[in-house]
Amino acid sequence: MYNNMGPRPGMAMPQANPQPSPFGNPFSGPGSGLIRSGLGAYGEKIFGSSSEYVQSNISRYFSDPQYYFQVNDQYVRNKLKIVLLPFLHRGHWTRISEPVGGRLSYKPPIYDINAPDLYIPLMAFGTYVVLAGLSLGLYGKFTPEALNWLFVKGMVGWFLQVMLLKITLLSLGSGEAPLLDIVAYAGYTFTGLCLAVLGKIIWGYSYYVLIPWTCLCTGVFLVKTMKRVLFAESRSYDSSRHHYLLIFVALAQFPLLIWLGNISVNWLF
Amino acid sequence: MTKDFAVPPVVFPSGGSSGGANVQQRRFPATPFQPPRPSSSAIPFMSFDIGSAAASSATPAGPFGGTIASSSSFGGGSASFEDEEPLLDELGIHPDQIWKKTRSILNPFRINQAVHKDSDLSGPIFLYLALCLFQLLAGKIQFGVILGWIVVSSIFLYVVFNMLAGRNGNLNLHTCTSLVGYCLLPVVVLSAVSLFVPQGAGPVRFVLAALFVLWSTRACSTLVVSLADGGEEHRGLIAYACFLIYTLFSLLVIF
Repeated sequence: MYNNMGPRPGMAMPQANPQPSPFGNPFSGPGSGLIRSGLGAYGEKIFGSSSEYVQSNISRYFSDPQYYFQVNDQYVRNKLKIVLLPFLHRGHWTRISEPVGGRLSYKPPIYDINAPDLYIPLMAFGTYVVLAGLSLGLYGKFTPEALNWLFVKGMVGWFLQVMLLKITLLSLGSGEAPLLDIVAYAGYTFTGLCLAVLGKIIWGYSYYVLIPWTCLCTGVFLVKTMKRVLFAESRSYDSSRHHYLLIFVALAQFPLLIWLGNISVNWLF
Repeated sequence: MTKDFAVPPVVFPSGGSSGGANVQQRRFPATPFQPPRPSSSAIPFMSFDIGSAAASSATPAGPFGGTIASSSSFGGGSASFEDEEPLLDELGIHPDQIWKKTRSILNPFRINQAVHKDSDLSGPIFLYLALCLFQLLAGKIQFGVILGWIVVSSIFLYVVFNMLAGRNGNLNLHTCTSLVGYCLLPVVVLSAVSLFVPQGAGPVRFVLAALFVLWSTRACSTLVVSLADGGEEHRGLIAYACFLIYTLFSLLVIF
Protein backbone atom coordinates (compact mmCIF):
# COMPACT_ATOMS: atom_id res chain seq x y z
CA MET A 1 0.00 0.00 0.00
CA TYR A 2 2.80 2.46 0.84
CA ASN A 3 4.56 1.60 -2.37
CA ASN A 4 1.36 2.28 -4.31
CA MET A 5 0.74 5.62 -2.57
CA GLY A 6 4.33 6.82 -2.96
CA PRO A 7 4.62 6.85 -6.79
CA ARG A 8 1.17 8.40 -7.34
CA PRO A 9 1.96 11.85 -5.81
CA GLY A 10 5.32 11.62 -7.52
CA MET A 11 3.56 11.09 -10.83
CA ALA A 12 1.19 14.03 -10.23
CA MET A 13 3.80 16.57 -9.17
CA PRO A 14 6.18 16.11 -12.13
CA GLN A 15 3.25 16.34 -14.53
CA ALA A 16 2.07 19.61 -12.99
CA ASN A 17 5.48 21.26 -12.77
CA PRO A 18 6.86 20.98 -16.32
CA GLN A 19 3.61 21.68 -18.19
CA PRO A 20 3.10 25.43 -17.44
CA SER A 21 6.65 26.60 -18.02
CA PRO A 22 7.26 25.16 -21.51
CA PHE A 23 3.75 26.17 -22.60
CA GLY A 24 4.02 29.73 -21.23
CA ASN A 25 7.43 30.66 -22.57
CA PRO A 26 6.96 30.06 -26.32
CA PHE A 27 3.46 31.57 -26.29
CA SER A 28 4.47 34.78 -24.55
CA GLY A 29 7.54 35.50 -26.67
CA PRO A 30 6.58 34.76 -30.28
CA GLY A 31 2.90 35.45 -29.60
CA SER A 32 3.51 39.08 -28.64
CA GLY A 33 5.69 39.57 -31.69
CA LEU A 34 3.06 38.11 -33.97
CA ILE A 35 0.33 40.24 -32.40
CA ARG A 36 2.40 43.40 -32.70
CA SER A 37 3.33 42.81 -36.32
CA GLY A 38 -0.27 41.97 -37.19
CA LEU A 39 -1.62 45.11 -35.54
CA GLY A 40 1.07 47.20 -37.19
CA ALA A 41 0.24 45.97 -40.66
CA TYR A 42 -3.49 46.35 -40.09
CA GLY A 43 -3.00 49.84 -38.66
CA GLU A 44 -0.92 50.91 -41.62
CA LYS A 45 -3.58 49.59 -43.94
CA ILE A 46 -6.31 51.48 -42.09
CA PHE A 47 -4.31 54.71 -41.96
CA GLY A 48 -3.35 54.48 -45.61
CA SER A 49 -6.88 53.90 -46.79
CA SER A 50 -8.30 56.58 -44.52
CA SER A 51 -5.78 59.18 -45.67
CA GLU A 52 -6.53 58.38 -49.30
CA TYR A 53 -10.26 58.58 -48.57
CA VAL A 54 -9.86 61.95 -46.86
CA GLN A 55 -7.76 63.23 -49.75
CA SER A 56 -10.34 62.16 -52.31
CA ASN A 57 -13.12 63.73 -50.27
CA ILE A 58 -11.19 66.96 -49.84
CA SER A 59 -10.47 67.17 -53.54
CA ARG A 60 -14.13 66.54 -54.28
CA TYR A 61 -15.66 69.12 -51.94
CA PHE A 62 -12.94 71.75 -51.83
CA SER A 63 -10.87 73.10 -54.63
CA ASP A 64 -7.18 73.65 -53.97
CA PRO A 65 -6.85 76.27 -51.19
CA GLN A 66 -3.46 77.19 -52.65
CA TYR A 67 -5.21 78.68 -55.67
CA TYR A 68 -6.89 81.35 -53.54
CA PHE A 69 -3.63 82.57 -52.01
CA GLN A 70 -1.70 83.26 -55.23
CA VAL A 71 -1.78 87.01 -54.70
CA ASN A 72 0.62 89.92 -54.61
CA ASP A 73 0.51 93.53 -53.41
CA GLN A 74 -0.79 94.84 -56.71
CA TYR A 75 -3.70 92.41 -56.81
CA VAL A 76 -4.64 93.19 -53.21
CA ARG A 77 -4.63 96.92 -53.85
CA ASN A 78 -6.70 96.67 -57.02
CA LYS A 79 -9.14 94.18 -55.52
CA LEU A 80 -9.71 96.44 -52.54
CA LYS A 81 -10.57 99.27 -54.92
CA ILE A 82 -13.10 97.08 -56.72
CA VAL A 83 -14.69 95.84 -53.51
CA LEU A 84 -14.90 99.25 -51.85
CA LEU A 85 -15.83 101.24 -54.98
CA PRO A 86 -17.55 98.87 -57.41
CA PHE A 87 -19.05 101.75 -59.39
CA LEU A 88 -15.63 102.85 -60.60
CA HIS A 89 -14.71 99.44 -62.03
CA ARG A 90 -14.72 100.20 -65.75
CA GLY A 91 -13.51 96.78 -66.85
CA HIS A 92 -15.57 93.64 -67.20
CA TRP A 93 -16.53 91.29 -64.36
CA THR A 94 -15.84 88.05 -66.20
CA ARG A 95 -13.12 85.73 -64.97
CA ILE A 96 -10.36 84.73 -67.36
CA SER A 97 -10.49 81.02 -68.14
CA GLU A 98 -7.80 78.77 -69.56
CA PRO A 99 -8.05 75.16 -70.80
CA VAL A 100 -5.96 72.85 -68.63
CA GLY A 101 -5.83 69.18 -69.51
CA GLY A 102 -9.10 69.30 -71.38
CA ARG A 103 -10.89 70.77 -68.37
CA LEU A 104 -11.92 74.41 -68.18
CA SER A 105 -10.39 76.26 -65.24
CA TYR A 106 -9.75 79.85 -64.27
CA LYS A 107 -6.56 81.81 -63.95
CA PRO A 108 -5.28 82.39 -60.40
CA PRO A 109 -5.89 85.75 -58.70
CA ILE A 110 -2.39 87.01 -59.46
CA TYR A 111 -3.28 87.09 -63.17
CA ASP A 112 -6.98 87.94 -63.00
CA ILE A 113 -8.42 90.83 -61.00
CA ASN A 114 -11.88 89.24 -61.05
CA ALA A 115 -10.77 85.95 -59.51
CA PRO A 116 -11.69 85.46 -55.85
CA ASP A 117 -9.00 85.05 -53.22
CA LEU A 118 -8.98 84.13 -49.55
CA TYR A 119 -6.22 86.44 -48.35
CA ILE A 120 -8.33 89.60 -48.39
CA PRO A 121 -11.33 87.96 -46.65
CA LEU A 122 -9.06 86.47 -43.99
CA MET A 123 -7.26 89.75 -43.33
CA ALA A 124 -10.52 91.70 -43.44
CA PHE A 125 -12.02 89.37 -40.85
CA GLY A 126 -8.95 89.78 -38.62
CA THR A 127 -9.10 93.54 -39.04
CA TYR A 128 -12.78 93.47 -38.12
CA VAL A 129 -11.99 91.63 -34.88
CA VAL A 130 -9.18 94.05 -34.01
CA LEU A 131 -11.27 97.12 -34.80
CA ALA A 132 -14.14 95.68 -32.78
CA GLY A 133 -11.80 95.30 -29.83
CA LEU A 134 -10.58 98.85 -30.29
CA SER A 135 -14.15 100.12 -30.44
CA LEU A 136 -15.10 98.21 -27.30
CA GLY A 137 -12.07 99.60 -25.52
CA LEU A 138 -12.86 103.18 -26.44
CA TYR A 139 -16.35 102.77 -25.00
CA GLY A 140 -14.95 101.19 -21.85
CA LYS A 141 -16.44 97.74 -22.44
CA PHE A 142 -13.33 95.82 -23.48
CA THR A 143 -12.85 92.36 -22.00
CA PRO A 144 -11.19 89.34 -23.63
CA GLU A 145 -14.49 87.47 -23.31
CA ALA A 146 -16.29 90.23 -25.23
CA LEU A 147 -13.68 90.06 -27.96
CA ASN A 148 -14.02 86.29 -28.19
CA TRP A 149 -17.77 86.80 -28.44
CA LEU A 150 -17.34 89.26 -31.30
CA PHE A 151 -15.07 86.75 -33.02
CA VAL A 152 -17.89 84.21 -32.85
CA LYS A 153 -20.36 86.83 -34.05
CA GLY A 154 -18.16 87.53 -37.06
CA MET A 155 -17.92 83.83 -37.83
CA VAL A 156 -21.70 83.50 -37.63
CA GLY A 157 -22.09 86.49 -39.93
CA TRP A 158 -19.67 85.01 -42.44
CA PHE A 159 -21.54 81.71 -42.28
CA LEU A 160 -24.89 83.44 -42.82
CA GLN A 161 -23.50 85.26 -45.84
CA VAL A 162 -22.17 81.99 -47.30
CA MET A 163 -25.55 80.33 -46.76
CA LEU A 164 -27.33 83.28 -48.39
CA LEU A 165 -25.16 83.12 -51.51
CA LYS A 166 -25.25 79.33 -51.65
CA ILE A 167 -29.03 79.15 -51.39
CA THR A 168 -29.39 81.86 -54.03
CA LEU A 169 -27.18 79.99 -56.46
CA LEU A 170 -28.90 76.69 -55.77
CA SER A 171 -32.36 78.15 -56.22
CA LEU A 172 -31.27 79.64 -59.55
CA GLY A 173 -30.16 76.24 -60.80
CA SER A 174 -26.45 76.79 -60.45
CA GLY A 175 -24.94 74.56 -57.81
CA GLU A 176 -21.57 73.98 -59.42
CA ALA A 177 -19.64 76.91 -57.97
CA PRO A 178 -16.92 75.67 -55.60
CA LEU A 179 -17.57 76.24 -51.93
CA LEU A 180 -14.35 78.18 -51.43
CA ASP A 181 -15.44 80.59 -54.16
CA ILE A 182 -18.60 81.32 -52.18
CA VAL A 183 -16.59 81.66 -48.96
CA ALA A 184 -14.31 84.18 -50.65
CA TYR A 185 -17.17 86.22 -52.09
CA ALA A 186 -18.89 86.25 -48.70
CA GLY A 187 -15.67 87.27 -46.97
CA TYR A 188 -15.31 90.43 -49.02
CA THR A 189 -18.22 91.78 -46.97
CA PHE A 190 -15.86 92.40 -44.07
CA THR A 191 -13.78 94.80 -46.14
CA GLY A 192 -16.44 97.48 -46.25
CA LEU A 193 -17.51 96.62 -42.72
CA CYS A 194 -14.00 97.41 -41.46
CA LEU A 195 -14.19 100.79 -43.15
CA ALA A 196 -17.50 101.55 -41.44
CA VAL A 197 -16.25 100.45 -38.02
CA LEU A 198 -13.07 102.49 -38.49
CA GLY A 199 -15.18 105.54 -39.30
CA LYS A 200 -17.20 104.89 -36.18
CA ILE A 201 -14.01 104.86 -34.12
CA ILE A 202 -12.68 108.09 -35.61
CA TRP A 203 -15.95 110.03 -35.64
CA GLY A 204 -19.15 108.48 -34.32
CA TYR A 205 -21.56 110.20 -36.69
CA SER A 206 -19.71 109.12 -39.82
CA TYR A 207 -20.92 105.60 -39.06
CA TYR A 208 -24.46 106.52 -40.12
CA VAL A 209 -23.13 107.65 -43.49
CA LEU A 210 -20.62 104.86 -43.98
CA ILE A 211 -22.77 101.87 -43.07
CA PRO A 212 -25.46 102.51 -45.75
CA TRP A 213 -22.72 103.26 -48.26
CA THR A 214 -20.95 100.04 -47.30
CA CYS A 215 -24.15 98.03 -47.65
CA LEU A 216 -24.77 99.56 -51.06
CA CYS A 217 -21.24 98.88 -52.33
CA THR A 218 -21.25 95.34 -51.01
CA GLY A 219 -24.64 94.73 -52.57
CA VAL A 220 -23.52 96.04 -55.95
CA PHE A 221 -20.31 94.02 -55.83
CA LEU A 222 -22.15 90.82 -54.95
CA VAL A 223 -24.82 91.37 -57.59
CA LYS A 224 -22.28 91.88 -60.35
CA THR A 225 -20.19 88.95 -59.20
CA MET A 226 -23.13 86.60 -58.78
CA LYS A 227 -24.44 87.60 -62.17
CA ARG A 228 -21.16 86.50 -63.74
CA VAL A 229 -21.16 83.29 -61.73
CA LEU A 230 -24.69 82.53 -62.82
CA PHE A 231 -23.95 83.32 -66.43
CA ALA A 232 -20.89 81.07 -66.36
CA GLU A 233 -22.48 78.19 -64.45
CA SER A 234 -26.18 78.28 -65.21
CA ARG A 235 -27.58 76.41 -68.19
CA SER A 236 -30.87 78.27 -68.38
CA TYR A 237 -31.06 82.02 -68.00
CA ASP A 238 -34.34 83.25 -66.56
CA SER A 239 -33.71 86.98 -66.43
CA SER A 240 -36.70 88.10 -64.35
CA ARG A 241 -36.22 85.46 -61.65
CA HIS A 242 -32.49 86.09 -61.61
CA HIS A 243 -32.98 89.82 -61.19
CA TYR A 244 -35.42 89.41 -58.31
CA LEU A 245 -33.14 87.04 -56.42
CA LEU A 246 -30.08 89.19 -57.03
CA ILE A 247 -31.95 92.23 -55.74
CA PHE A 248 -32.89 90.16 -52.69
CA VAL A 249 -29.20 89.39 -52.11
CA ALA A 250 -28.35 93.09 -52.33
CA LEU A 251 -31.14 94.05 -49.94
CA ALA A 252 -30.16 91.32 -47.48
CA GLN A 253 -26.80 93.04 -47.03
CA PHE A 254 -28.40 95.88 -45.07
CA PRO A 255 -29.64 93.93 -42.01
CA LEU A 256 -26.61 91.66 -42.01
CA LEU A 257 -24.05 94.45 -42.11
CA ILE A 258 -25.97 96.57 -39.60
CA TRP A 259 -26.03 93.58 -37.27
CA LEU A 260 -22.32 92.94 -37.70
CA GLY A 261 -21.46 96.64 -37.50
CA ASN A 262 -23.15 97.06 -34.13
CA ILE A 263 -20.21 96.28 -31.86
CA SER A 264 -21.81 94.97 -28.70
CA VAL A 265 -22.02 91.75 -26.75
CA ASN A 266 -25.79 91.62 -27.16
CA TRP A 267 -26.79 88.75 -29.38
CA LEU A 268 -29.85 90.22 -31.03
CA PHE A 269 -28.29 93.49 -32.11
CA MET B 1 15.24 -15.58 -8.36
CA THR B 2 14.86 -15.21 -4.62
CA LYS B 3 11.52 -13.48 -5.24
CA ASP B 4 10.40 -16.42 -7.38
CA PHE B 5 11.18 -18.79 -4.54
CA ALA B 6 9.16 -16.67 -2.09
CA VAL B 7 6.00 -16.86 -4.27
CA PRO B 8 5.62 -20.67 -4.34
CA PRO B 9 5.52 -20.99 -0.53
CA VAL B 10 2.56 -18.57 -0.51
CA VAL B 11 0.79 -20.70 -3.15
CA PHE B 12 1.18 -23.86 -1.15
CA PRO B 13 -0.76 -22.64 1.95
CA SER B 14 -3.45 -21.18 -0.34
CA GLY B 15 -3.94 -24.59 -1.97
CA GLY B 16 -4.64 -26.02 1.42
CA SER B 17 -7.15 -23.29 2.39
CA SER B 18 -10.70 -22.65 1.06
CA GLY B 19 -11.68 -21.39 -2.47
CA GLY B 20 -12.41 -17.85 -1.25
CA ALA B 21 -9.01 -17.73 0.23
CA ASN B 22 -7.75 -18.90 -3.14
CA VAL B 23 -9.38 -15.92 -4.88
CA GLN B 24 -7.89 -13.48 -2.38
CA GLN B 25 -4.50 -15.06 -2.73
CA ARG B 26 -4.80 -14.77 -6.53
CA ARG B 27 -5.45 -11.00 -6.17
CA PHE B 28 -2.40 -10.67 -3.99
CA PRO B 29 -0.03 -11.86 -6.71
CA ALA B 30 -1.54 -9.23 -9.09
CA THR B 31 -0.53 -6.35 -6.80
CA PRO B 32 3.18 -7.28 -6.72
CA PHE B 33 3.23 -6.98 -10.54
CA GLN B 34 1.92 -3.36 -10.43
CA PRO B 35 4.59 -1.86 -8.13
CA PRO B 36 7.47 -2.45 -10.56
CA ARG B 37 5.55 -0.66 -13.40
CA PRO B 38 5.01 2.56 -11.45
CA SER B 39 8.58 2.39 -10.31
CA SER B 40 9.71 2.01 -13.91
CA SER B 41 7.38 4.87 -14.98
CA ALA B 42 8.63 6.93 -12.03
CA ILE B 43 12.08 6.85 -13.53
CA PRO B 44 11.07 8.76 -16.75
CA PHE B 45 9.04 11.17 -14.60
CA MET B 46 12.13 11.79 -12.59
CA SER B 47 14.01 12.32 -15.81
CA PHE B 48 11.32 14.84 -16.82
CA ASP B 49 11.75 16.49 -13.48
CA ILE B 50 15.45 16.65 -14.12
CA GLY B 51 14.78 18.21 -17.55
CA SER B 52 12.32 20.73 -16.16
CA ALA B 53 14.72 21.48 -13.36
CA ALA B 54 17.39 22.16 -15.97
CA ALA B 55 14.96 24.42 -17.85
CA SER B 56 14.02 26.20 -14.65
CA SER B 57 17.67 26.60 -13.82
CA ALA B 58 18.21 28.02 -17.32
CA THR B 59 15.26 30.39 -16.97
CA PRO B 60 16.61 32.19 -13.88
CA ALA B 61 19.87 32.63 -15.75
CA GLY B 62 18.10 35.30 -17.83
CA PRO B 63 16.99 37.38 -14.85
CA PHE B 64 20.36 36.80 -13.27
CA GLY B 65 22.01 38.16 -16.40
CA GLY B 66 19.53 41.04 -16.45
CA THR B 67 20.27 41.78 -12.86
CA ILE B 68 23.96 41.79 -13.64
CA ALA B 69 23.34 44.12 -16.58
CA SER B 70 21.20 46.45 -14.50
CA SER B 71 23.76 46.46 -11.73
CA SER B 72 26.46 47.24 -14.28
CA SER B 73 24.33 50.08 -15.63
CA PHE B 74 23.86 51.39 -12.11
CA GLY B 75 27.59 51.21 -11.64
CA GLY B 76 28.15 52.97 -14.96
CA GLY B 77 25.72 55.73 -14.01
CA SER B 78 27.33 56.26 -10.67
CA ALA B 79 30.75 56.14 -12.29
CA SER B 80 29.95 58.96 -14.79
CA PHE B 81 28.07 61.19 -12.35
CA GLU B 82 30.67 63.95 -12.60
CA ASP B 83 30.37 63.99 -16.42
CA GLU B 84 26.59 64.47 -16.55
CA GLU B 85 25.14 67.44 -18.44
CA PRO B 86 23.66 70.38 -16.50
CA LEU B 87 19.96 70.18 -15.73
CA LEU B 88 19.08 73.09 -18.04
CA ASP B 89 20.81 71.44 -20.99
CA GLU B 90 18.95 68.20 -20.38
CA LEU B 91 15.66 70.12 -20.27
CA GLY B 92 16.53 71.86 -23.53
CA ILE B 93 16.76 75.34 -22.02
CA HIS B 94 19.77 77.37 -23.13
CA PRO B 95 19.89 80.67 -21.21
CA ASP B 96 22.71 82.14 -23.29
CA GLN B 97 20.81 81.47 -26.50
CA ILE B 98 17.64 82.96 -25.03
CA TRP B 99 19.59 86.07 -24.01
CA LYS B 100 21.10 86.44 -27.48
CA LYS B 101 17.71 86.18 -29.14
CA THR B 102 16.11 88.59 -26.70
CA ARG B 103 18.91 91.12 -27.19
CA SER B 104 18.55 90.88 -30.96
CA ILE B 105 14.85 91.72 -30.69
CA LEU B 106 15.63 94.62 -28.35
CA ASN B 107 17.40 96.46 -31.18
CA PRO B 108 14.49 97.70 -33.33
CA PHE B 109 16.63 98.88 -36.25
CA ARG B 110 18.96 95.95 -36.89
CA ILE B 111 17.76 92.43 -36.14
CA ASN B 112 20.28 89.61 -36.05
CA GLN B 113 18.58 86.86 -38.02
CA ALA B 114 21.26 84.18 -37.71
CA VAL B 115 20.75 83.76 -33.98
CA HIS B 116 17.09 82.80 -34.52
CA LYS B 117 17.77 79.87 -36.84
CA ASP B 118 17.45 77.41 -33.97
CA SER B 119 13.90 77.72 -32.71
CA ASP B 120 13.04 77.04 -29.09
CA LEU B 121 9.97 77.53 -26.93
CA SER B 122 11.50 78.19 -23.51
CA GLY B 123 12.23 81.85 -24.29
CA PRO B 124 8.67 82.50 -25.52
CA ILE B 125 7.25 80.79 -22.43
CA PHE B 126 9.35 83.08 -20.26
CA LEU B 127 7.99 86.08 -22.19
CA TYR B 128 4.40 84.83 -21.85
CA LEU B 129 4.81 84.52 -18.11
CA ALA B 130 6.36 88.00 -17.94
CA LEU B 131 3.40 89.46 -19.86
CA CYS B 132 0.94 87.62 -17.60
CA LEU B 133 2.81 88.97 -14.56
CA PHE B 134 2.70 92.58 -15.77
CA GLN B 135 -0.97 92.25 -16.60
CA LEU B 136 -1.49 90.83 -13.13
CA LEU B 137 0.28 93.86 -11.65
CA ALA B 138 -2.12 96.03 -13.67
CA GLY B 139 -5.04 94.21 -12.06
CA LYS B 140 -5.98 91.92 -14.94
CA ILE B 141 -5.98 88.13 -14.68
CA GLN B 142 -5.42 87.02 -18.28
CA PHE B 143 -3.29 83.87 -18.13
CA GLY B 144 -5.63 81.66 -20.14
CA VAL B 145 -6.48 84.40 -22.61
CA ILE B 146 -2.84 85.19 -23.42
CA LEU B 147 -1.82 81.56 -23.84
CA GLY B 148 -4.89 80.79 -25.93
CA TRP B 149 -4.37 83.78 -28.19
CA ILE B 150 -0.71 82.84 -28.62
CA VAL B 151 -1.71 79.44 -29.97
CA VAL B 152 -4.35 80.88 -32.30
CA SER B 153 -1.98 83.60 -33.53
CA SER B 154 0.81 81.13 -34.27
CA ILE B 155 -1.51 78.85 -36.21
CA PHE B 156 -2.92 81.87 -38.07
CA LEU B 157 0.51 83.12 -39.15
CA TYR B 158 1.60 79.58 -40.01
CA VAL B 159 -1.42 79.09 -42.30
CA VAL B 160 -1.12 82.52 -43.93
CA PHE B 161 2.60 82.20 -44.62
CA ASN B 162 2.51 78.70 -46.05
CA MET B 163 -0.50 79.51 -48.20
CA LEU B 164 1.12 82.66 -49.59
CA ALA B 165 4.49 80.98 -50.14
CA GLY B 166 2.91 78.12 -52.07
CA ARG B 167 4.92 74.97 -52.74
CA ASN B 168 8.12 76.64 -51.55
CA GLY B 169 6.80 77.35 -48.06
CA ASN B 170 8.82 75.53 -45.43
CA LEU B 171 7.88 77.40 -42.26
CA ASN B 172 7.08 74.82 -39.61
CA LEU B 173 4.81 75.46 -36.65
CA HIS B 174 7.62 75.21 -34.08
CA THR B 175 9.65 77.95 -35.74
CA CYS B 176 6.53 80.06 -36.23
CA THR B 177 5.55 79.79 -32.57
CA SER B 178 9.09 80.60 -31.50
CA LEU B 179 9.28 83.72 -33.66
CA VAL B 180 5.83 84.99 -32.67
CA GLY B 181 6.75 84.45 -29.03
CA TYR B 182 10.12 86.20 -29.17
CA CYS B 183 8.71 89.15 -31.09
CA LEU B 184 6.16 89.59 -28.31
CA LEU B 185 8.98 91.20 -26.31
CA PRO B 186 8.05 94.78 -27.33
CA VAL B 187 4.49 94.12 -26.16
CA VAL B 188 5.89 92.89 -22.83
CA VAL B 189 7.91 96.10 -22.58
CA LEU B 190 4.76 98.07 -23.42
CA SER B 191 2.95 96.25 -20.64
CA ALA B 192 5.67 97.17 -18.16
CA VAL B 193 5.77 100.81 -19.29
CA SER B 194 1.98 101.08 -19.13
CA LEU B 195 2.12 100.38 -15.42
CA PHE B 196 3.54 103.89 -14.95
CA VAL B 197 1.26 105.71 -17.40
CA PRO B 198 -1.95 106.99 -15.81
CA GLN B 199 -5.21 105.58 -17.11
CA GLY B 200 -6.60 108.95 -18.11
CA ALA B 201 -3.88 109.67 -20.68
CA GLY B 202 -5.59 107.99 -23.63
CA PRO B 203 -3.64 109.48 -26.56
CA VAL B 204 -0.30 108.83 -24.86
CA ARG B 205 -1.16 105.18 -24.38
CA PHE B 206 -2.30 104.88 -27.99
CA VAL B 207 0.87 106.46 -29.36
CA LEU B 208 3.04 104.24 -27.16
CA ALA B 209 1.08 101.16 -28.21
CA ALA B 210 1.37 102.10 -31.89
CA LEU B 211 5.14 102.44 -31.63
CA PHE B 212 5.62 99.12 -29.86
CA VAL B 213 3.25 97.31 -32.23
CA LEU B 214 5.13 98.61 -35.27
CA TRP B 215 8.36 97.46 -33.60
CA SER B 216 6.97 93.97 -33.05
CA THR B 217 5.53 93.82 -36.56
CA ARG B 218 8.81 94.80 -38.19
CA ALA B 219 10.79 92.31 -36.13
CA CYS B 220 8.42 89.41 -36.73
CA SER B 221 7.93 89.98 -40.46
CA THR B 222 11.68 90.43 -41.00
CA LEU B 223 12.52 87.23 -39.15
CA VAL B 224 9.77 85.14 -40.74
CA VAL B 225 10.65 86.24 -44.27
CA SER B 226 14.38 85.72 -43.75
CA LEU B 227 14.22 82.35 -41.98
CA ALA B 228 11.68 80.60 -44.22
CA ASP B 229 11.71 80.29 -48.00
CA GLY B 230 9.20 81.71 -50.41
CA GLY B 231 8.11 84.73 -48.40
CA GLU B 232 10.25 87.49 -49.88
CA GLU B 233 7.74 88.64 -52.51
CA HIS B 234 4.90 88.58 -49.97
CA ARG B 235 6.64 90.59 -47.28
CA GLY B 236 3.96 93.27 -47.09
CA LEU B 237 1.13 90.77 -46.89
CA ILE B 238 2.89 88.80 -44.14
CA ALA B 239 3.69 92.02 -42.29
CA TYR B 240 -0.01 92.88 -42.21
CA ALA B 241 -0.81 89.52 -40.62
CA CYS B 242 1.87 90.16 -37.98
CA PHE B 243 0.46 93.64 -37.44
CA LEU B 244 -2.98 92.19 -36.68
CA ILE B 245 -1.51 89.72 -34.18
CA TYR B 246 0.45 92.27 -32.16
CA THR B 247 -2.34 94.85 -32.31
CA LEU B 248 -4.59 92.27 -30.71
CA PHE B 249 -2.14 91.74 -27.87
CA SER B 250 -1.66 95.46 -27.41
CA LEU B 251 -5.42 95.80 -26.95
CA LEU B 252 -5.03 93.57 -23.90
CA VAL B 253 -2.45 95.99 -22.52
CA ILE B 254 -4.20 99.25 -23.36
CA PHE B 255 -7.71 98.42 -22.14
